[in-house]
Amino acid sequence: MSDQSLADQSPSDLDLNGEVYDGPILEIDKLSISFFTRLREIPAVMDFSAKVMPGEALGLVGESGCGKSTVALGVMQDLGVNGRIVGGSIKFKGRDLNTMSPEELRDIRGSQIAMIYQEPMASLNPAMKIGQQLMEVPMIHEGINEKAAYQRALEVVTDVKLPDPKRILNSYPHQLSGGQQQRIVIAMALMSKPSLLILDEPTTALDVTVEAAVVELVKDLGKKYGTSMLFISHNLGLVLETCDRICVMYSGEAVERGSIEDVFDKMRHPYTQALFRSIPLPGANKNDRPLVAIPGNFPLPHERPQGCNFGPRCDYFEAGRCDSQDIKMAPIEGDELHETRCLKSDEIDWNAPVVAGETKTKGEIGDVVLRMEDLRKYYEVNASSLFGSGTKKVVKANETLSFEARESETLAIVGESGCGKSTFAKVLMGLETATSGEILLYNESIGNTPIEKRSTKTIADVQMVFQNPFDTLNPSMTVGRQIIRALEIFKIGNNEGERRTRMLELLDLVKLPRAFADRMPRQLSGGQKQRVGIARAFAGDAKIVVADEPVSALDVSVQAAVTDLLMDIQREHKTTLLFISHDLSIVRYLSDRVMVMYLGHVVELGTTDQVFSPPYHPYTEALLSAVPIADTSVKKKHIVLEGDIPSAMNPPSGCPFQTRCNWKGHVPGGLCEKSVPPVRMVAEGHQIKCHLSDDDLASMEPVIQIAAE
Amino acid sequence: MDPLSWTGAVGAILNPALLVVSGLFIVAIILMIVLSFFAPPVTLQSNADGTVMAQGGIFGLVETAVRGLLFALLAVIVAYVVSGIVLPYGDAGIIGAVNKQFTPVWISLVVTFVVSIIYKRKLGIYGKLFDNIIGMVGFGLVMFWVFTAIYAGVFDMIATHDPLSQVSGLKNKVPGVPVPGADVMAPGSHYLLGGDNLARDVFSRMIHGSWIVVQIAPLATVFAFMVGITLGLPAGYFGGKFDTGLSFLANLVLAFPVILLFYLLVTPEMVETGIPSYMAAVLFIFPLIFALVLLNSRYHTQPALRTIILAIVLGVLGVLYLSLVNQAGTVLHFLPGWLDLFDVPGGILVVFVSVVFVNSPTIYRIVRGLAMDIKTRDYVAAAQTRGEGPWYIMLWEILPNARGPLIVDFCLRIGYATILLGTLGFFGLGLPPESPDWGSTINAGRGLLSIYPHPALVPAIALLSMVLGLNLLADGLREESLKD
Ligand SMILES: Nc1ncnc2c1ncn2[C@@H]1O[C@H](COP(=O)(O)OP(=O)(O)OP(=O)(O)O)[C@@H](O)[C@H]1O
Ligand code: SF4
Ligand code: SF4
Ligand SMILES: [Mg+2]
Repeated sequence: MSDQSLADQSPSDLDLNGEVYDGPILEIDKLSISFFTRLREIPAVMDFSAKVMPGEALGLVGESGCGKSTVALGVMQDLGVNGRIVGGSIKFKGRDLNTMSPEELRDIRGSQIAMIYQEPMASLNPAMKIGQQLMEVPMIHEGINEKAAYQRALEVVTDVKLPDPKRILNSYPHQLSGGQQQRIVIAMALMSKPSLLILDEPTTALDVTVEAAVVELVKDLGKKYGTSMLFISHNLGLVLETCDRICVMYSGEAVERGSIEDVFDKMRHPYTQALFRSIPLPGANKNDRPLVAIPGNFPLPHERPQGCNFGPRCDYFEAGRCDSQDIKMAPIEGDELHETRCLKSDEIDWNAPVVAGETKTKGEIGDVVLRMEDLRKYYEVNASSLFGSGTKKVVKANETLSFEARESETLAIVGESGCGKSTFAKVLMGLETATSGEILLYNESIGNTPIEKRSTKTIADVQMVFQNPFDTLNPSMTVGRQIIRALEIFKIGNNEGERRTRMLELLDLVKLPRAFADRMPRQLSGGQKQRVGIARAFAGDAKIVVADEPVSALDVSVQAAVTDLLMDIQREHKTTLLFISHDLSIVRYLSDRVMVMYLGHVVELGTTDQVFSPPYHPYTEALLSAVPIADTSVKKKHIVLEGDIPSAMNPPSGCPFQTRCNWKGHVPGGLCEKSVPPVRMVAEGHQIKCHLSDDDLASMEPVIQIAAE
Repeated sequence: MDPLSWTGAVGAILNPALLVVSGLFIVAIILMIVLSFFAPPVTLQSNADGTVMAQGGIFGLVETAVRGLLFALLAVIVAYVVSGIVLPYGDAGIIGAVNKQFTPVWISLVVTFVVSIIYKRKLGIYGKLFDNIIGMVGFGLVMFWVFTAIYAGVFDMIATHDPLSQVSGLKNKVPGVPVPGADVMAPGSHYLLGGDNLARDVFSRMIHGSWIVVQIAPLATVFAFMVGITLGLPAGYFGGKFDTGLSFLANLVLAFPVILLFYLLVTPEMVETGIPSYMAAVLFIFPLIFALVLLNSRYHTQPALRTIILAIVLGVLGVLYLSLVNQAGTVLHFLPGWLDLFDVPGGILVVFVSVVFVNSPTIYRIVRGLAMDIKTRDYVAAAQTRGEGPWYIMLWEILPNARGPLIVDFCLRIGYATILLGTLGFFGLGLPPESPDWGSTINAGRGLLSIYPHPALVPAIALLSMVLGLNLLADGLREESLKD
């Protein structure tokens, strides 16, 4: 058994009794799932149907809370104490999972269906060696002996492209990086040779370049093992790259279903259309082709409207028709297996161009407001912890950071985890002081002034918008109170009354109803909380706002609205926006200049156009290729980086990117490993930190190309 | 006059009923436990039309029976209570008479529950308590004693006799014994729960004891929390050397033999050196510091308003503090008599010092842990980036968001403090020996426990039910705060 390759004994052509089976692997029919809480029944999924054929990958997309995970858990028959399947059936290889006994289910779950979750650590036992955890699976389910199990573990670990498999098998989960852990989870799922693999946002916790590599891996393995996949994601681009078919969910229902091409290019549901219009595809532009946000909010499961769930937010809504009846999935003439849940799909002119919203004039870029000169921030850490005996290590979080930002300008700071974005923000805000170098705000040096010593004016001028909307507001204080507190601290308004008026104006500014002043944060949605966070940052008329991934935790339909809001405020107040992000699509959409960071170094800096077209820094090139783009007409150059981002504690010698660089071979004499490359100006205002020769840089091709229509 | 029997006339009907129902209840419970090993589990089957059907089987049947019997049992108990209240004094025996005495408490409890349940959706976490059976039972037990304490302590109701007066001839008499000389059947004509070894009324002492317990235990716990919070917040927030030092100290205190401390505190030599007084002076200043920092951090941006608020609050607290600390006959005696509003007996001071000493290290640790967790939140970072001072962040950004676990712990700790009060009394420390508080009475009754159990048993049951109530209440709160 062990000498046979796993791939040869593809399990998907055998049914549960070991006989040949060629029907659908998974067939979900009119499934309804409810959660029962103290107050009410929450219908999380209603009338949901889907089919996965052998070897096929089905993508399930939708906003947070639309019921994607619930479907997955329903298939796993793992809905917790208060969740229940209240209608419909789930057939796995022709047998209804609802009627199976717990023993049968347990058996199937372990061996035929495997699930991969968002958080890799959730599926790994921290106290057990990787090898043991992997071997356990077939030893329990197939009763094979230890040696055979070890062989198989070695094989799958090699398959998921982990370096030095033997060492990995002998290590504990916490000794691996996030990307490696997720690979182990995938390996574990593959140990039992499942026929169906359910992936619930498997890469959300990973960095973009690592995500690209994991997605690549999943795709290859799917082909190799012939495993069917149910791929859950909120990222349309990822689904485009991984799946054959797609199902779009909205508020507990499937609203559109079909092949990737049909749904991406010939969508027939207003929600799908609105979704595509709200994501920044190449070509969108904040001034003349702004994103179109979906108006309104996602309905809570118990507050769904009559008739069409999407009705209140739909541009094509027709009263008396859309809200008077339950709407069924209906096939679309002329397309195979393409269905939609919209009454008017035949009547809508799907090819009508986007109604161009008002064209906005770009704010005039003014004088330099903020200048960083050769900024460095080093941390000293005790290498051998316990008693901090002697050996101190220096972590270089920021190396020779130099740039300037002007009034009304958006400067994007791009990079993956550990590149020093947050450290930079902390130094700028005064929560930490710089090790060396200068920060000049209006020609006043603030780099070595901790926040307690800064003047109220300086503090009010530099403010921050945080990433996690669920964490950014104090849960025990009303929204209005929190804004008023900021006003008090910034010494704005002479009395409580004046401050209250100002607070209400700030709510207007971020387009929230004034009634929200008396609400508690938990009564607000993620997007609304983020707006309050923005209002608070602008309380003291901030000149510079550091936005640390302000929309990455929000749903796409809300992202557009919040981004637009930021842009509007910027135009009005001539704010300088430092936009920290790893999402290059949104960066391209809204920034004027881009700074790419890797392990504390600025590797590339230039205008948006310069950075997004060749010549690139090799890291920028890889980053661009890694970003999933939800557009079938976009052709991307395929670049996959090996390995993970090195830890800042142990940076590589020479060029920080040399451990993963694909271009390293072009530089003669191993220079990349020996010396840190100098900063070179390749064009007016475009700098790159790399040893590559001018010829090599000139030979680079664009990563993203839009096919001519 | 005749002695009262336990259940009087109604016993003829209710006692057999109670016997039968509780017998059946126990049988059903046993059956349920046995069946749970064999019978198939209860499953819910969804039908095609979307309805859900419970497949109970024999196990479900037994379960229903248990539930029914439980209600029957409750009904019998309610019957005892109601008959006691309604029938004239004496007709429903001792139990009836006791319930009659508790009438105002019963009414208050019913009103509290009805009002709370009607408005539970508007009452936040308190309202959610009424979705939780355990929490409701706990809350009921606690409120029973709180109401009893208030009616007895403030309005002098419920108790039938003075807790200190002795009636000759009733020494160690059994429950229901008539008081010599009383000739009308009326409250006060009997020692309802018997007499103790000094011929005092056990029932009345238990009632009056509740007032002492309900006053001292929560207050002492509040002080322990003040100390724990004031030290735990900065330890968790700043970390570093300060944290290491304090944590070491906390461990040291926890390792200290508490009993030894108690004895040290009351030895005359110690009292003479003035150490307990100084300890009290240090201990009681914490609430002042706490209020000062709390209000200053909040209002320092508006100096005028801040000064007014601080002057008022600190003025009031200051006077309270001084009269608390200042005491004739000790080293700290500096206030003129008219300013010294009240004196606290030395024994109670010992109680406070002990409760704080025993509890604050643990509270310190809990608060420190919570602060370390919460300080990583973005809203704390947001406060830092707008230049808030550390104390504002600790007291207004971190503390309110740590309240859930702290409230639960507070309930549990009142329970411990009550027991500690009893323990101290048991060693003859703390309160004066004739005090009717439960710990002291249990202690006093312990000598003759094997011959006359009732003088010790009655306060013991009271203490048990109150601590049980606090624990259940804490459980309920914890469970509810974990949900959503
Ligand atoms: N255990 C539960 N009890 C009550 N309601 C629940 C429970 N689990 C999920 N829900 C509700 O069911 C609905 C669907 O949730 P689900 O987790 O499937 O969404 P999702 O599409 O996976 O969202 P996300 O993208 O955030 O993972 C939501 O409204 C959610 O609040
Ligand atoms: S049914 Fe009506 S409301 Fe619903 S998506 Fe179609 S057009 Fe819009
Ligand atoms: S210096 Fe060398 S290793 Fe670094 S990015 Fe350039 S080519 Fe790659
Ligand atoms: Mg989910």
